[in-house]
Amino acid sequence: MILGDLLGTPVLDADGGRLGRVADVRFVLDGTPHQLMAEPRLLGLVVGPHSASSFMGYERNGLTRPRMIARILRWRHRGSFLVLWEDIAVVGNRSVRLRPGFTRYSTALDDHAQA
Amino acid sequence: MKRLLGVALGILTAIGGFVDIGDLVTNAVVGSRFGLSLVWVVAVGVVGICLFANMSGRVAAVSGRATFEVIRERLGARAGLANLAASFLINLMTVTAEIGGIALSLQLASSVDYLLWIPVAAVAVWLVIWRVRFSIMENVTGLLGLTLVIFAVAVFLLKPDWGALAGQLAPTVPQQETFWSYSYYAIALFGAAMTPYEVFFFSSGAVEEKWSVKDLAQSRINVLVGFPLGGLLSVSIAVCAAIVLLPAGVSVTSLSQVVLPVAEGAGKLGLAFVLVGMVAATFGAALETTLSSGYTLAQFFGWSWGKFRRPAQAARFHLSMIVCLLVGMAVLATGVDPVLVTEYSVVFSAIALPLTYLPILIVANDPQYMGEHVNGRVVNVLGMVFLVIILVASIAAIPLMIVTGAGS
Repeated sequence: MILGDLLGTPVLDADGGRLGRVADVRFVLDGTPHQLMAEPRLLGLVVGPHSASSFMGYERNGLTRPRMIARILRWRHRGSFLVLWEDIAVVGNRSVRLRPGFTRYSTALDDHAQA
Repeated sequence: MKRLLGVALGILTAIGGFVDIGDLVTNAVVGSRFGLSLVWVVAVGVVGICLFANMSGRVAAVSGRATFEVIRERLGARAGLANLAASFLINLMTVTAEIGGIALSLQLASSVDYLLWIPVAAVAVWLVIWRVRFSIMENVTGLLGLTLVIFAVAVFLLKPDWGALAGQLAPTVPQQETFWSYSYYAIALFGAAMTPYEVFFFSSGAVEEKWSVKDLAQSRINVLVGFPLGGLLSVSIAVCAAIVLLPAGVSVTSLSQVVLPVAEGAGKLGLAFVLVGMVAATFGAALETTLSSGYTLAQFFGWSWGKFRRPAQAARFHLSMIVCLLVGMAVLATGVDPVLVTEYSVVFSAIALPLTYLPILIVANDPQYMGEHVNGRVVNVLGMVFLVIILVASIAAIPLMIVTGAGS
């Protein structure tokens, strides 16, 4: 499976209720160190209840201008959350199903936290 | 001294390079039909292109990325590809219009049919792109294009009634025209002044000429002085048409009508100047649009690009430009009127503008790319105002095109 197939896939909770669609995926660079960078590890999926479109970079807290665009894009992605890979039960062709009792993490990125 | 010379040269080429076939045709058409009642649109368009060129030049100089590299990174592959397809096709249309413009200008100078000039023009464009250094190419066409100043000179030689001309400046719809065609031509004029290729070219040129942060001041002067003066030049085309053609009831449909007021005001010598200027301006713009088609493709697909590389090292970049020239030639060989292609190309340019404007506006605000050189508050306020203007023009263009039968 490639990432392009996963983006836009509906995300369901354990009971089959619709939560939104896959808007993005998050990686962390904490694997085996290589020459250029450490091996990336899939941290989890970003689920958007209203829109699976791009965040255009406004998932970062530090990016607030132009204020109007930032506000519109944040509004479009209101309620989006990050689910960790451990909380995902099945990644199917048609949908992604989460485990019961999954945790919703914030999708925001701090500027200093990302390389 | 050398620095001052560099600034002067930059300003002069910015003026001479501002006018292209789109400006020539649209300004003359508008002047002959609407007088000076749409001059305000040129002013708005010039402010817009200054803003857009300033942002994309700054992004290129600071981050080292040209427009389509930024679009690919920010929008991702899928949305980026849709964006590329639209921008590229409209640019190809502009390439076609510019080559047709060279051929028509040469026809005016030689009385040899323009269809025979088309292959000559296309081969000449290709040879220059293949062989001539970037800076020489820019400076020669830019300086020769300055001979179009004759339009401004002709305005004075025609000894118009200045009071009556000033009276036309108010943005009102002339009696014989409808509000819809007025709006349609407003968008066409806006698209002619704010053509997207200028921005692809400007930002890629910044990478070609290896700009860095310390060149920002000079590029800002070039843009902020050169473009408004270039805008005045294109307004003078409209003024010429408004003085001579509007009272005569001639609405412009060919390039020979565009130069008519100059011939009347400035005689044979003026005509010689205007012909040199038109060949230079359309040739320069043909180079820029052809290069822009190569730039956009290569930047999106990650091919090595640029005239600073030898053609063998940027083979796909050069090949794609050859194909674009051939396509442009093939379209013109069908006998379609280049003036008509031009009129459509400026409107479609306005339609496609948000596709490149929005990503540049966003990235120009991103400290990860720009560090301390992000947009200031004033630029952002202007940037948002223009985002609205550009969106309105883009959305309104197609319905207006249908309602007015493309302005006829």
